[in-house]
Amino acid sequence: MDKNGLKGTIEMAPVAEKAQTYDWNMKELMERLGGDQEFLRELLVIFQQTAPENLLKSREALASGDFPGLTHAAHTLKGMLKNLAMGAAGQTAAALEAASREKSMEESKQQLEQLSGELQGLFLAVEARLAEVKS
Amino acid sequence: MRILIAEDDALSRTLLERTLQRAGYEVVATANGSEALQELAKQDAPRLALLDWVMPQKDGLAVCRDVRQWKDQPYTYLILLSSRESKQDIVFGLESGADDYLTKPFDVDELKARLRTGERILELEDRLVEARESMRFQATHDLLTSLWDRGVIMELVTREVMRTRREGSCTAVMMCDIDHFKKVNDQYGHGVGDEVLREVARRLQLSVRSYDMVGRYGGEEFLVALNHCDAGSAVSRAENLRGVIGGRPIQVGSQKLTVTISIGLALSTEFGDSSVDEIMHEADMALYAAKAGGVIACGWPRRGAGKRLSKSKPRNHPCSRNNAGH
Repeated sequence: MDKNGLKGTIEMAPVAEKAQTYDWNMKELMERLGGDQEFLRELLVIFQQTAPENLLKSREALASGDFPGLTHAAHTLKGMLKNLAMGAAGQTAAALEAASREKSMEESKQQLEQLSGELQGLFLAVEARLAEVKS
Repeated sequence: MRILIAEDDALSRTLLERTLQRAGYEVVATANGSEALQELAKQDAPRLALLDWVMPQKDGLAVCRDVRQWKDQPYTYLILLSSRESKQDIVFGLESGADDYLTKPFDVDELKARLRTGERILELEDRLVEARESMRFQATHDLLTSLWDRGVIMELVTREVMRTRREGSCTAVMMCDIDHFKKVNDQYGHGVGDEVLREVARRLQLSVRSYDMVGRYGGEEFLVALNHCDAGSAVSRAENLRGVIGGRPIQVGSQKLTVTISIGLALSTEFGDSSVDEIMHEADMALYAAKAGGVIACGWPRRGAGKRLSKSKPRNHPCSRNNAGH
């Protein structure tokens, strides 16, 4: 898996055209963190380390029809995305969690594709933000 | 205040941990329900806990249910954290034993306010427990000496005699009385008399093993029950108690007073199936006999045959039936 977690066992729809778009409410997040840039950096590093891993877990779980595994991975992604005020991706992760609870293969696949695209944009945004914080 | 958090997602756990540390809490962070339970079961466990609903191994609901089964632990205030918002979920969460419910992502001010509510509840609980324990202590202990009161020591001795009979061993019952205590009160006043009673009680308590019993029988009389104590060692222990009291003066303000005690002794094995009241009566009779010489006396199976023993260590087994006629 590359650092953006885009390699999985399922063929995903092309997401390159969505890569530069993302929904990330930085104002809300900084209010939550009390304006602490260092803390922001720490959380973003954790995000970089754990979100791709959970995205891969989601793909593997869907490929093997492991809906409980998919539910758990989607739930974890939903939690971290909402905590970081990444609203749209958080909603998609919630929809993926709901679809996997319903054991709906088609809906789960569709939501996971959408989530992968949204995460692609967010991974780039996080990388850029980290470079900004470090400098 | 210490607070436990249980959250499997590293990012959410870090966010929660740092937010709580900023709010002045000492945080114990765990990554799943099993770890949380282990921490909460410890002696000095945090009394406040924030538990994620969905976790591997044991979820937040299971942790709540387990904690509520514990009867001997101080109360733990449990808050469930979840992204589930339906009324049904909230009711289900609270019915599992949670005290409160918070939806994720949490609002920092709301989180702090809910934790303050938890702290208020815990403070109230502590005050209630403290009041209950104080009332329990007052209901079972003598207020002046803090020893067991007469009713409780009698009950404890009764239970102990029954137990040692079942086991085929012996309980030594000692009735101890401060000699010439009236003179202390008359000469120095009741305040000094009370100090003497307190100090005698303290020394008696410190001179017995943790599983022996000391109570205030009334006035200047104390009841001591020694478990697994044969005749020889009972007399030796009684001599020791007399030495502990009379061997060193009691400091009351600027004055030093020396008091002695007399001891009437009865052994449970000497009275077959007699009731504890009868054994107590024999110890009392022995005390009367001892009072005549300010020493130790044993109660014998023959009623009213309290026998004085010399102050020096007795030969053989002075409390055995063989010595009854001495």
